[in-house]
Amino acid sequence: MAQTDEPHETAHDDLHPHAPMVEEITDFEVLEIAVRELAIEKGLFTADDHRRFTEFAEEIGPTAGARLVARAWLDPEFKRLALEDAIAASREVGVDWLEPTGFGTPSDFTALQVLEDTPKLHHVVVCTLCSCYPRPILGNSPEWYRTPNYRRRIVRWPRQVLGEFGLHVPEDVEIRVEDSNQKHRFMVLPVRPAGTDGWSEDDLAEIVTRDCMIGVALPKPGVTTNAVTAVRPAIRPAEHQ
Amino acid sequence: MGEDQSRSVSQVSVPALDRIATRRQVWARVSEKYGVTNPAPPWKSSLDGMCDALDTNGDALPALERRREEDLLSEEVYSALPAPERQLIALAHSLVARGVIEEDALARRMQAVRTRLEAA
Repeated sequence: MAQTDEPHETAHDDLHPHAPMVEEITDFEVLEIAVRELAIEKGLFTADDHRRFTEFAEEIGPTAGARLVARAWLDPEFKRLALEDAIAASREVGVDWLEPTGFGTPSDFTALQVLEDTPKLHHVVVCTLCSCYPRPILGNSPEWYRTPNYRRRIVRWPRQVLGEFGLHVPEDVEIRVEDSNQKHRFMVLPVRPAGTDGWSEDDLAEIVTRDCMIGVALPKPGVTTNAVTAVRPAIRPAEHQ
Repeated sequence: MGEDQSRSVSQVSVPALDRIATRRQVWARVSEKYGVTNPAPPWKSSLDGMCDALDTNGDALPALERRREEDLLSEEVYSALPAPERQLIALAHSLVARGVIEEDALARRMQAVRTRLEAA
C-alpha cells in the first residue's frame, strides 16, 4: 500500500476495503441531475417532494406481498379478508394503501384486488395502457412489465407469453388476464404448492416471489428468485390508444 | 398535448440528447468496466422520484402521456439504449419537446453539472 501522511486512514482502508465504484461521471447521471434541477427551478415540483418520492421508491419491495400470500395460505380468515378487502389485508402486513408514503402518491391511491388462483384457474396481471402496478405491496415493476412486448402480447397470447417465462399452463387450466389501470391494481394469490406442509409463514413467504404475484411464475419449494427475463422490443409496437 | 401531439414528439430533434444516446455511457457498460454488481444505476430511484413528483404536481407532463411518449421514443428514437437510460432520456425529450425545458438551458445545465461533479 502506498505511503500516506494519514495513518488513521490507511488503517481504516486495510480493515474496510472499498467496494468497487464507478469512477467516472456518466452522461446519464449528469442528465438526471440537470433535468431535476431545471424542473424544480421551474416549479414543476419541489425538492422536498422529490426527496420523499425517491425515499418511497427506495423503500418499497415485494416482501409485504409475499407475507400477505403466505398468511392467506395459512389462515382462512385472513384469506377471506384478503379477497374481500385487500386494502385492509395489506394493512395487516404493514402496507397502508391510503397513505403508502405517509403523504400519498400520485398513482398508488387506488383499489387493490387479490386474484385467487385455483387448480383450474390461473391469473396474470398486466397494464396494457402504461405500467400501472401495485407498487406499495410489490415494489417497483420489473422492466419487462413496462415493455409493449409484454403488455401487448400477454392479452392476446397469454399461454405463449407465459411459456416464454418458463410457465407452461396446462390446456385445461383457464388463464385470466387482468388489466390494471390508474384506479385499480391487482396481485395474484397463487395456489399453495405441494411439498410445503408444516411450513411456517416465514418459510412460505420465501418462495412467494414477485413473479408469482404478477402471475408469470408459480411458487415452488426451493425457488426463491425471479426468472431472469430478457427484455426485447415488440416486433410491432403496441398501438397507443 | 393529445395523442397526435404525443405521436409527434418523436419527430422533434434534440441534439443535446442525441449526443448522449450516441456516446452510450450506459450503466451496463460502466458498471462492468469497474466491477460494480449493482444492477441499477445510482440515479434510478431519483428518476423514479422525479416521475412521481411530476405526476403529482401538475399538468406539465401528465403521467399517461409521459408513458405513451416513453414507449414511442423508446421504439423510434432511443431503441439502442437499455432501460432505465431510455426512460430518463425519453423524459428529458418529452419535456424539451413540450417547451417545458428549453434545449439550450438543458445543454448548459448539463455542462454546469458535469463541471460541478468533476470538481468534487
